[in-house]
Amino acid sequence: MALNANLLAAPVAAPLLTAALILLFARWGGRTLIRHQVALTALALCLNLGIVLTLFYGAAVQGRRFVLQFGNWTAPFGITAYGDGLSATLLLMTAIVALAVYPFAVATIDYHRARMGFHPLYLFLLMGVNGAFLSGDLFNLYVFFEVLLMASFVLLTIGAQPAQTNSGIRYVVLNLLASTVFLVAAGVAYGTLGSLNMAQIAERLPLAAPAVRTVFAGLLMVAFGSKAALFPLFFWLPASYHTPPPAVTALFGGLLTKVGIYTLFRSFTLFFPELLLSWQPALLTIAGATMLVGALGALAQPGIRRVLSFHIISHVGFILMGLAVALSGNSLAIGFGLGAAILYLCHHMIIKTALIMAGGAVELYMGSDRLASIGGLVTRQPLLAFLFFMASISLAGVPPFSGFVSKLSLLQITLDTHHWVVSGVSLFASLLTMINMMRLWRESFWGDYSRPSRVPSRILQSTIRQQLMLIPVGALVLLSLGLGIFGERAFNLTMRVAQHALDRDAYIEAVSPSTLHSSGLRSGAFNVTGPKFPDSSTHLFASLGEPPWPAR
Amino acid sequence: MTSLLLAIAVGSLFATGTYMIMRRGQIKLILGLALLSHGVNLLLFGSGKLTAGRPPIFLDKKHYTETLAAFQPADPLPQALILTAIVISFGITAFVIVLVNRRHTVTATDYVHGELVPLLREGDPFDFSEPSDIDQYDWLAYEVDEVYDSDDLPLGFPPTPQSEQDESAAMEEESYRWP
Repeated sequence: MALNANLLAAPVAAPLLTAALILLFARWGGRTLIRHQVALTALALCLNLGIVLTLFYGAAVQGRRFVLQFGNWTAPFGITAYGDGLSATLLLMTAIVALAVYPFAVATIDYHRARMGFHPLYLFLLMGVNGAFLSGDLFNLYVFFEVLLMASFVLLTIGAQPAQTNSGIRYVVLNLLASTVFLVAAGVAYGTLGSLNMAQIAERLPLAAPAVRTVFAGLLMVAFGSKAALFPLFFWLPASYHTPPPAVTALFGGLLTKVGIYTLFRSFTLFFPELLLSWQPALLTIAGATMLVGALGALAQPGIRRVLSFHIISHVGFILMGLAVALSGNSLAIGFGLGAAILYLCHHMIIKTALIMAGGAVELYMGSDRLASIGGLVTRQPLLAFLFFMASISLAGVPPFSGFVSKLSLLQITLDTHHWVVSGVSLFASLLTMINMMRLWRESFWGDYSRPSRVPSRILQSTIRQQLMLIPVGALVLLSLGLGIFGERAFNLTMRVAQHALDRDAYIEAVSPSTLHSSGLRSGAFNVTGPKFPDSSTHLFASLGEPPWPAR
Repeated sequence: MTSLLLAIAVGSLFATGTYMIMRRGQIKLILGLALLSHGVNLLLFGSGKLTAGRPPIFLDKKHYTETLAAFQPADPLPQALILTAIVISFGITAFVIVLVNRRHTVTATDYVHGELVPLLREGDPFDFSEPSDIDQYDWLAYEVDEVYDSDDLPLGFPPTPQSEQDESAAMEEESYRWP
């Protein structure tokens, strides 16, 4: 199959069209129609994985950059989709997570939720995430953020139980605030830089006033940091992740915060790489605080999913630590920090999904996830106990799993760049992770068998459901093991991806936004006015002065 | 002057929206979110030129540069951005209203805060300690309507009691009939 940039549309189109098909022809039905929904959704997820594997081969392994200008309009006028190694890696991980969670969801989502549109919403969420990874335009990024947020709102609250609506309010409001800040950032970018195309913003940002750069970076940092659950902005995550069905939590834990992390990576490497140096103390402080707060908060939590959702925050701190030293190379490679962060991100997406699914299985067998009241499951579910243990030690960073390789590389770069304090904090957070994971395992699997609550008979009496719950967990743990054993190859790959992501000139050249007076105008039915530049007299951002690029 | 007025309008919308979000009632929360989105829309509007009486599109292909310099057409992009943002915020506001309504129905409270549901509990409404049957609440937290097995199960899969089988079959029958 020829690798064509048109392939970039497929990860968005495939879930969207399948969801539309479901909503048109297989909607709100009885069990037969829900089986059709399941079949169509599984088909779309497999198709998505296939497409994304092709893209990954082209972008990450071969190192190509795919740019798709929709409708063949040149860059700042049309919609741009951009896929390089970083996007393709995230897309691949997303496809794997979505495909792995789906059997678990089919096995555990109850009939009423399925009838209310769980399966098309799953696809809409996937579409939003894929679109955010591929977007080359700030406003489209906002739109895809809203698509995935809307799908996640409904997935979180579908069923409308009291706890779900309680957490739904907080989740919705805090995420909407972050989106508002992001939209303000887009408005500031358009008002001061005259463009929303990310390549053109990157081109013009070094010429802009320092105040513009700082404000823009701060707004983006708040917006994306809130999506990524960084230290002072993470409160929506532990407030909501323990309330929906376990399959939804697994999907959210695998995908949602990663979109924020990806956009942080993209904006810091493309828009303001110099801030990675000047803001480095602040970024490292935030990273350390995020790690510590996540791990310590997890220590205080009474339930499996609450502990795991605090650990998501903790690991976001690790990834941000990698981003903060992204530009620092050591004797081994340039951009070592970013490569290590990307590897950690892949490891985190795989193993966190596996752990939440395993914890969800425990919860479904026990009828509760309160650690104080459950116990002794190892006699009934030895395979689940084994998989949970393996996933736990992989999360804590024990060789030969992927956690070891990624944590080792992160530690190596922070030690090489002499950031002693944050290295120590990350080691301490790893220790706390280990303690927490062992606590979870001991409380839920050891001791006397006690099941505190009644359990739906469909969970305990169906062999196929139990297999569907355990097989994806096993597959993800095996994937983590493979990533650990072939750690060198994976690390070389992510290092290459990181170097490509850090090369901002190549990004700008690949998208090649036309400048004002060049041949950017398309001979079509209309004359298209060029990107506009604010008239300094009647303009909201007038006090910032004349832009250094030529006025129209 | 116009830009100053616009800036003041944006700022006051943001301030009012933030204040409304900080308050305790859910309806005020919705109003606050709506005001914030209006503030952002005005800010996007201000990111273009504030031109009066100039059309955004003109159709003179031959003298493109000259007419562009002479007429200074309005920038059509902020309007398109605002339109998109309005549509999105409209959809989300509708969702939030439904969510708040549903929350009011199932928890009988209008307060944004409170993990538990004070008004549904017997006795002291300000007793936020965990109820003794918290496991039941936990379980209810993510199951809509299910057939439960009645007591602790031995190893393996026990047969379903006849009554529950009937109930399950009845539920399934009913689910076929619902549209």
